[in-house]
Amino acid sequence: MGKIEAKNIIKYFQHDGKPLKAIGGVNLTVDDGEFVCIVGPSGCGKSTFLRILAGLEKPDDGEVLLDGKKLVNTGPDRIMVFQEGALFPWLTVEDNVEYGLKVAGIPENERHDISKRYLDMMQLSQFANSYTYQLSTGMKQRVAIARALVMDPDVLLMDEPFAALDSQTRDLLLVEMQMIWQKTKKTIIFVTHNVPEAAVLGSRVAVFSHRPSVVKKSLDIDYKRPRVAEDENLGKFEKQILAALRHQGPK
Amino acid sequence: MKANLLGKKIAFYVLIIIVWQGIDSAEIWPDNIFPSPIEVGEDLLYGISDGSLFYGIGTSMWRLVIGLSIAIGGGMLLGIFMARVETVNQTIGSLVLGLQSIPSVAWVPLAILWFGLSDSGIIFVTAIGAIFAVTINTYTGVKNIDPSFIEAARNMGAKGGQLITTILIPAAFPYMISGFKQGWAFAWRGVIGAELLFSFLGLGFLLNVGRQLNDVSQVIAMMLVIMGIGILIDGFVFKKLEDKVMTKWGLR
Repeated sequence: MGKIEAKNIIKYFQHDGKPLKAIGGVNLTVDDGEFVCIVGPSGCGKSTFLRILAGLEKPDDGEVLLDGKKLVNTGPDRIMVFQEGALFPWLTVEDNVEYGLKVAGIPENERHDISKRYLDMMQLSQFANSYTYQLSTGMKQRVAIARALVMDPDVLLMDEPFAALDSQTRDLLLVEMQMIWQKTKKTIIFVTHNVPEAAVLGSRVAVFSHRPSVVKKSLDIDYKRPRVAEDENLGKFEKQILAALRHQGPK
Repeated sequence: MKANLLGKKIAFYVLIIIVWQGIDSAEIWPDNIFPSPIEVGEDLLYGISDGSLFYGIGTSMWRLVIGLSIAIGGGMLLGIFMARVETVNQTIGSLVLGLQSIPSVAWVPLAILWFGLSDSGIIFVTAIGAIFAVTINTYTGVKNIDPSFIEAARNMGAKGGQLITTILIPAAFPYMISGFKQGWAFAWRGVIGAELLFSFLGLGFLLNVGRQLNDVSQVIAMMLVIMGIGILIDGFVFKKLEDKVMTKWGLR
């Protein structure tokens, strides 16, 4: 039994008023402490699949199990890091990070202790009282990651969180993300369209097919950490991922 | 730059008073139709010295504050409901648009029939004149919230009332401020209009007294007071609030 299991997930989109099968029966089991990257062609429904795991969308068929229990709604056991961060502009960095804890009714001093730990980890301490519009895109994503980590979720779901970053900032965060994973031992599912990013981050990469998507191939990336994007030895893993993406069969 | 602007403004108003005095000195119209600025000033001073002006302002403001508070509270609630529940929008939403086109003073007859010649009637007119502007702006604000804010909050465990107070209201606040501003403007018109028609106290009443006594300078003096309060509240309450919110939300 995996930590989180998706069983035969099927999802239709509305396209020109007609239902279009986007996700065609995805099965994915992720073990406790795994770092799984999902890659796939654009429009294959990988972000939608992640949203289904988060409980923010309902599948038309199939189910999601967490520790063997069927999930119905969204909840803080699976925290999502959104592509654009989805930080609240009316709150300071610190209040953003503490939001979920406040909702959970955790007392103020305890909240501060927890948020301080993660603000330190994400090197955000000196920005604790800033508002998010004062931060760069990379800083905002650090805040979003800190806000997710304070919730101590069973599973961390990340939807192309580095897509909008410049390459320098991204390289830095790729290294930090691996350190966070090693330090917190979180189960992470990370959606990306960027193949080198998947090879750097994933302990396993699940390749989705064209829609209606299924898991085309699951590749273990067995390589030392921390990895960096320009490491040539990652090239062979990238080639395997690209090959799996290319062999899509009829569209 | 700022001093320059202030200078221009002062010069403009001084010019108005000079022209006004000039027309009066030309004696085109009799004094009981066209008073001089000095007579209007004397009326204002008289109102200040016997306290009747402050009592009038106080009464009108008190009615305004109660009416506007009801409008803001009710309008926000209704607006949030309309934005979040499609059926409410499809039904009550269309009615709100219609009701907003009714001028506040058109509610006065109904207010007299329902509440009699009382404070409640004036507060009713004030509130109902302002509530729909707040409703519509709140609705627009909540509709325009980035859906990922709501999803992120739900994902972190926020539900029901918590979602409303911690996400919907703060996220829609920049829009709601416009609603409060419009609401205040409607409420101010409403309270003066209603007082004019059926009150025994307040600025609108003093305005009407001026008319009944054929005292043109009293009428103009009260109009100036009504305008002055409008400028003060716009500039000091709502402009400040708006600036603060816009800065904090990173919108300017």
